[in-house]
Amino acid sequence: MVDAETLSILKTRLSDVVGEANVSTSVSDMILNAHDAWPLSEARIRAGELLPTADMIVFPATTEEVAEVLKIANETSVPVTPIGGGAGTCGGTLPIYGGIQLDIKRMDRVLHIDHESLTVTAEGGIVGIELEEAVNRNGYTTGHTPTSLRASNLGGFIATRSGGSMSSLYGKIEDLTLGLEVVLPDGRVIECKALPRHSVGPDLKNLFIGSEGTLGVITRATMKLFPIPEKRSFRSMCFPDVHSGLGAIKEILQSGIFPSVVRLYDANDTAMSVSVHFDVEEGDCMLMLAFDGLPEKVDLEEQLSAEICLKHGAKDYNEGPSKRWWEHRYDMYYPTKFTTAGYSIGDTIDIVATYDKLEDVYHSMKAAMEAHDAVVMSHFSHMYPNGGSIYMIFFTSQPTAEEAWATYKRIWDDGIEACLKAGGAMSHQHGVGLSRSTYMEGEWGAAFSVIRQIKEVLDPNGIMNPGKVGLGVRE
Amino acid sequence: MIDNDEIAGQVRMCAACPKMCRHVCPTFFAWRSDSPTPHGRALIIHYNNTGTQRLDSRGIEVLYQCLECSHCLTWCLPEIDIASIVEATRRQIVDAGSQPEGLIEMARSIETHHNPFEEAHSERTSWVKEKGSGAKSVIYFAGCTASYREQSIAESTASILSETLGYDVIVSDEEWCCGSPLLRTGHYELALETARHNVDLLNSVDAESIIVSCPGCLRVLTQDYPEHGLKLNKPVFHISQVLQERIETLPSGAVDGTATYHDPCHLGRHCGIYDPPRDVVERLMGGGLVEMEHNRDDAMCCGNGAGLRTLFPDKAREIGTERVEQAIRTDADFLITACPFCKNLLDAQSLERIEVIDLPELVKRAGQQEGQE
Repeated sequence: MVDAETLSILKTRLSDVVGEANVSTSVSDMILNAHDAWPLSEARIRAGELLPTADMIVFPATTEEVAEVLKIANETSVPVTPIGGGAGTCGGTLPIYGGIQLDIKRMDRVLHIDHESLTVTAEGGIVGIELEEAVNRNGYTTGHTPTSLRASNLGGFIATRSGGSMSSLYGKIEDLTLGLEVVLPDGRVIECKALPRHSVGPDLKNLFIGSEGTLGVITRATMKLFPIPEKRSFRSMCFPDVHSGLGAIKEILQSGIFPSVVRLYDANDTAMSVSVHFDVEEGDCMLMLAFDGLPEKVDLEEQLSAEICLKHGAKDYNEGPSKRWWEHRYDMYYPTKFTTAGYSIGDTIDIVATYDKLEDVYHSMKAAMEAHDAVVMSHFSHMYPNGGSIYMIFFTSQPTAEEAWATYKRIWDDGIEACLKAGGAMSHQHGVGLSRSTYMEGEWGAAFSVIRQIKEVLDPNGIMNPGKVGLGVRE
Repeated sequence: MIDNDEIAGQVRMCAACPKMCRHVCPTFFAWRSDSPTPHGRALIIHYNNTGTQRLDSRGIEVLYQCLECSHCLTWCLPEIDIASIVEATRRQIVDAGSQPEGLIEMARSIETHHNPFEEAHSERTSWVKEKGSGAKSVIYFAGCTASYREQSIAESTASILSETLGYDVIVSDEEWCCGSPLLRTGHYELALETARHNVDLLNSVDAESIIVSCPGCLRVLTQDYPEHGLKLNKPVFHISQVLQERIETLPSGAVDGTATYHDPCHLGRHCGIYDPPRDVVERLMGGGLVEMEHNRDDAMCCGNGAGLRTLFPDKAREIGTERVEQAIRTDADFLITACPFCKNLLDAQSLERIEVIDLPELVKRAGQQEGQE
């Protein structure tokens, strides 16, 4: 935490930069701004526990103001935790060492829509749905629709290598980001020019995509746009097991068909998410598909995909379950009386692997997590020609807070260990934040030293989001 | 009314939500901070309930940075009504004497002058020019904003009721503020005092119904009064409902151009009245009705509610300006609303880029234009 004298000086200096109204040292503001969407944070809030808070919040309105704030923080070696929507699921915006919470929500402008190149340039603080509605008015979509669309923002999407529910067709945020403006920890502003592709050395923007505020602050970005599809169709296929479903997915994608939605629910998740609305045989696994684009293309892709599924032993459920999921895709994100009762806690470990390892990862993690008496259900989503992601969802309820948090940690530890042993990577789209920070050495091996060295060069005073992504952990 | 245990359970759940409604919260729009948001309000009340962090002066301020527009409720799957919870907490704040200074003056004005504007009560009906002499009597409960700030709405409403619809219109000199500003900001005792006066007055008049042009009055007369055991002996209608019922008397397509319609929160989300004003607008406009992107139960608040304009006028104006921008995006010629409070703020923020008119004013204009043809 920052001492009172430094805090007072900082407040004066930062007020000169962003205006007095845009600096807060109020305890209530600090508490409210700590709020994120990490399930552990949410469970702790319900239990009446305080989350870690900053010493002050600063709300800049421009890139120049961000730069000035970082210069002052760097000069005084005060930790800076950037925050956008505050909707991260891994604790990445929790100011665990106090200091400044740099909140970029005021930087919410759409700066330019390029109708010729199909791109949009916007500031990092714009909320996902604000950006999507703005481009929708012009007949476009960003193609990026994560469950947190209403809460998370553009800077956060990029900082965490976010993925939307239609990433199989449109791509993840790293595929959608063409250019970036970043403020470095010493206040320098750099631009990674918006380009479709290039061959001018390493792609610097990819250093910042996924850096989670540890290497700088993403203040604006140029993103791809797509015309709003003329048609979106839905198809649902039910398989006797995960193996046959995955076989069909692999064949669809490897034949050059890219559905916008590909979600295969294992038996538990099918029972929980689908069987309450549709008549599904116990043990069956539902595959939900959607296809976007010109009507002729959509019709052909749906027909060919259905043929592949039937060949792999599927039963055809037509559009029902898939369409219902689409219409209710945000519902699961809301708290319910069941999931918030007592000291209940659940989370999702969103791992990713190539097809040769994917089923092994699934079975290994499931066994490791269920060993703690957790309810585990999974779906395979965000699928690509070479592999895909699994949402390993778990839920546990314990009699005390201490037992709940400890059980939660054990499930995570053993789940990640099983994932890494079986050859998976521990996150596809949620990022690292605090929840995966301690696993970074195990995930990266010797290569993590390269990341550390980059961090030391760009942020020698270690001010940027310390303790996250395994970087800048303090004693 | 929801009890304290129910509130505790609801704020516990809302406080730890991943912000599924924040994007429609007008005060989030205005402040771009996580404090004046539905989950922020819930969290501050939850921590106060659990003793984790007692409500401090900033916490109280956050609870008054709420329009009680209930837009968040539209987007809340567990149906947690934060506006009502904020209102219940404001009541405790007022009981403890900790409410913001600006509201004390407002409450004092209502107590002294029976309106929140510190205007003389004797001037309340200064707008009245004529009274009808129809066979059926109705009471027109004009409300404070139409009586003192938007008299054209009061005049238009009275004129339509008498001239177009043929009622004998009764406007009482003894009408007091309905109590809405008091109830919404937590001043329950004073609100009930003024409510009792109005109920006695309205019940003593021989008329078939009470007509209001202010949705704030409508909500209070039809929902808050009964909730507190105060029963009116005649039905209460919003002018849009009366006009819809007699829509054949209105001149079809009499006003040139297109109009978009702004749903007042108290009329739409709080009283469920969406179609009557739209039917009237459709009937009168030559070019018909064009909807804004956010309409009906998803309509953005105008920014003029629950004490926000009194306490944070700049932010109220920012919200109003955004709603005007949304109307301008429709390319409509007119922005119509059906609330003197909404009209007052939207008109001020329109800067003549779009003409803002209240529903009775539109009806009156349609009658005048028809008369000219």
